[in-house]
Amino acid sequence: MRVVMAIMLGVALLASGCASKVEYGDPQARETVTPDFGSSDLQMIATKMVDDMMVFPPVVELTRNRRPVLFVDRVKNKTSEHVDTESITDTIQSRLINSGKFRFVDMTVVDRVRQQLEYQQDSGMVDQSTAAQMGRQIGAEFMLYGNLSSIVKRDNSTKDVYYKFTLKLLNIQSGIIEWSGEKEIRKTRSRSLFGL
Amino acid sequence: MEAGRGWESKTLCLMLVLPFWLAGCAMGSLFQPYPSQAQSWVHPAPGRDASIVQHLERAGKGRDGVLYLQELGLLQQRLGNDAASRTVFADVINHYEHTDAQALIRVTGLASQTGALLINDNALPYRAPDYERIFTYSYQALNYWAAGDVTGTAVELRRAAQAQRMAEQRREKELAKADEDAASVLDLSQYQGYFEGLDLAAGAVKSSFQNAWTFYLSALFWEAHGEYNDALVDYKKALELHPRADWLKADVQRVSRALDGYRQRGIGTVAVLYEQGEVPARQEVSLPIPTPHGLFLVAFPSYSVTSWSAARPLTFHVGEQSAQTRVLADVGALAARNLREQAPGMLIRQVLRATGKYNLQKKANDDFGGAGAFLTQLFNLISEQADRRSWLGLPAYVQAGRISVPVGEQQVLLSSPGGDASVTVPVMERGLTLIHVTERAGRLVTRVLPVQEGPL
Repeated sequence: MRVVMAIMLGVALLASGCASKVEYGDPQARETVTPDFGSSDLQMIATKMVDDMMVFPPVVELTRNRRPVLFVDRVKNKTSEHVDTESITDTIQSRLINSGKFRFVDMTVVDRVRQQLEYQQDSGMVDQSTAAQMGRQIGAEFMLYGNLSSIVKRDNSTKDVYYKFTLKLLNIQSGIIEWSGEKEIRKTRSRSLFGL
Repeated sequence: MEAGRGWESKTLCLMLVLPFWLAGCAMGSLFQPYPSQAQSWVHPAPGRDASIVQHLERAGKGRDGVLYLQELGLLQQRLGNDAASRTVFADVINHYEHTDAQALIRVTGLASQTGALLINDNALPYRAPDYERIFTYSYQALNYWAAGDVTGTAVELRRAAQAQRMAEQRREKELAKADEDAASVLDLSQYQGYFEGLDLAAGAVKSSFQNAWTFYLSALFWEAHGEYNDALVDYKKALELHPRADWLKADVQRVSRALDGYRQRGIGTVAVLYEQGEVPARQEVSLPIPTPHGLFLVAFPSYSVTSWSAARPLTFHVGEQSAQTRVLADVGALAARNLREQAPGMLIRQVLRATGKYNLQKKANDDFGGAGAFLTQLFNLISEQADRRSWLGLPAYVQAGRISVPVGEQQVLLSSPGGDASVTVPVMERGLTLIHVTERAGRLVTRVLPVQEGPL
């Protein structure tokens, strides 16, 4: 009887040990599962870029009495990882909009906006007194663009990854770069000596 | 006395069963040589593709999973299932990362080592050598290229370059140490004939991983996107591996001039990547291994150049012009060089295994007489299998060639001893039109990849 009980207990322990579980976590918590580009890197970059830009004196001056219109070009991925750079620029864009200092036009939806305008203008389905007019959009004054590059070094026991994110704000009319920010991140992973 | 005998018989049974248990899912190659398994996907019977894919998917979950997944990724690409191939190769690359991040000394690793010491090297989980990893990145780059994902292609080409660079950095000290370790246990001069055979198979290949084909593919891609500096570096690396190739010198000169601002107008590039034949499989040879009880003949993997097919160029014509592809990597030689590098470690394991097997047989003979000796002899005979695992879906030779042609629609005629083909391709100014040619069931299979042009 005791043997049966012990086996049952063993099986129960084994089964509970193997069961997968789901938990909610803090999205701002430091993520260090692998040295690859992750959520913490994205958040660090976005925070640094927005903070730098907002306190840069010419930008402070520029936004004192008006909200300039920007558009995000793209951030080139020059790393050896498949990084979604649009996600980084989306976060930066959201924070800049929420600061109340800037406005953005979104170039990724131009085709769909055009379709909607054509529908409102030409389909005969929309009351023309409420229809949005063609040619009334506001032109962007500045362009945000940048690069994400990396240098990876590895030997038998260590992997070192260095990321550099560069973002620039360009005045479309004059071609002058009004501001440029940079964030460096270094991550190192050491292999443990013992493991399963 | 009876009780003691019972305990011993249990021990013997355990010794015979333990290795099988330790080997776990690696049973696939333990007693059935890998090359005979691979026949079904290297030379597939018509209409069997779906069942082969299913088989490889199942095998991909085992301990040698990464090997079967490499085969599956390449098979899916050749079947035209680029999205499936991309998913499989992404799993393979994750596996590489995971293996590289594992602890240096692992409990499960020790169990496999014990299994390998008792049965054969096939009990060790398959670890993809550098040359196979570099091919994986190159094929994955072609998957992204085919999908029109330029950034993804660039990422994979950077990974391929990174893998080559890192392999080069750690190679020298690792090799010196492996030879030193083996020399402290064995007299390596006894195996001179074996090593000479492998050296002959490795031919002119300088290292077991450097792949000029991958460098050339990257160089073409960077050049098409106006990244002349990166292109120049990769053309030069390909030239380092083939220093007498005048056509590579011409590439270096052209890109050097482009860096100086001289760029031709009104023409584009048509390049052909040609994968010829199938990489040779490892063969089994008998090597005499010294044990305290005399010489033991054991099974050992090797390569024999006598059975290898020769490289054949592919000729391609565009209008009045024609060019040939040239061999950029002899994959069989890379595999042979890789085996040559692994051989000292394998020899040490074989010496330990031969001694262990002799002791097991002697113990069985002493304790159980003829029946025990027969059983252990049978076990030793069946378990004596050389480690013949390697990625066999790879081609024997990878070749490439390029030609500058006027902009517009162009018809390209391809001819090789393996068959002929004709494709119509778009050519854009300073763009790159890549034709990927493979051989399947004795005929040429071509696919035209999206044109690369303009800044990245």
